[in-house]
Amino acid sequence: MPPLSTAAPAISAAFFASLVEVVEAFTIVLAVATLRGWRPAALGTAGGLGVLACVVLLLGPVLDRIPITSLQLAIGILLLLFGMGWLRKASLRAAGIIPFHDEDAIFAAKTAELREDEGRRSRSLNWIAGVTALKAVLLEGLEVVFIVVAVGAGRGLLVPASLGALAACALVLTAGVLVHRPLSRVPENLLKFGVGVVLSAFGVFWTGEGLGIVWPAQDLALLLFAALFLGAGLIGSAFARKLSMEFA
Amino acid sequence: MMMLKELTGELIGMFVAEKWLAVAVLTLIAVTGSLLDFAGLDQLAGGAILLFGSLLLLLASVCYAAKARTP
Repeated sequence: MPPLSTAAPAISAAFFASLVEVVEAFTIVLAVATLRGWRPAALGTAGGLGVLACVVLLLGPVLDRIPITSLQLAIGILLLLFGMGWLRKASLRAAGIIPFHDEDAIFAAKTAELREDEGRRSRSLNWIAGVTALKAVLLEGLEVVFIVVAVGAGRGLLVPASLGALAACALVLTAGVLVHRPLSRVPENLLKFGVGVVLSAFGVFWTGEGLGIVWPAQDLALLLFAALFLGAGLIGSAFARKLSMEFA
Repeated sequence: MMMLKELTGELIGMFVAEKWLAVAVLTLIAVTGSLLDFAGLDQLAGGAILLFGSLLLLLASVCYAAKARTP
């Protein structure tokens, strides 16, 4: 296990990014469980986790065979695209340009969708509910897997990053079991903003390393990159708010 | 089949949240790589182009979206 100072950025990035994704998956699984009971929800979740496990088992050995600079470049590019996408969206949400992600609204919409199916195809209800849960777990889970691989691979930090993601799953499940309703009080946009900053910083760092750039101060450069992306996100959000007020 | 399509769409959507931002970022990376490899650009200058280019693209994309989405 690497020292905590090295592992901490990977653990925290995987934890917070996974928290956002797991909350989204949990909302849909809860909608399924509320409407059709825990059996199809649990079966769908187990199926989704099973497919995810297969993806990880297939991908894991492949990652070890890719040369480190190619891996850093590929993951750096994907991280940069992913992180900047999140940061852009979070900045626009903070500026009030696009609406916030509303877990209560998603829960209500998914419940209504399943009720509609109930009227149409009453015989295969549990199947539809199970597939809905499976899809949610699989889609959000794939994002978690990517985040874990992206922040962990190439630096021997896969285990700490996985621990961060697992801690997020455990936290959401515990909170979900306790409150038994969508976790709408999670400050999702704030988390997305923070994670977007961290992933973008990792993205520039690894893309640069993949291109052969040796960053001054090595890993410490990540802190400067994160500070710059945070500043750009905040400035972008302020500009966007100003622009929307000017044109309104 | 529908699920596979949805899955693929979601996976692409993970990285291409906004088409033009993605194209611009990929172009920036390609230009930086070319300058480093073929023009013999100093690697720190390449790093600065990559970093500050990304920051500028982010700002431009947020401001453009704010302008475009404001009624």
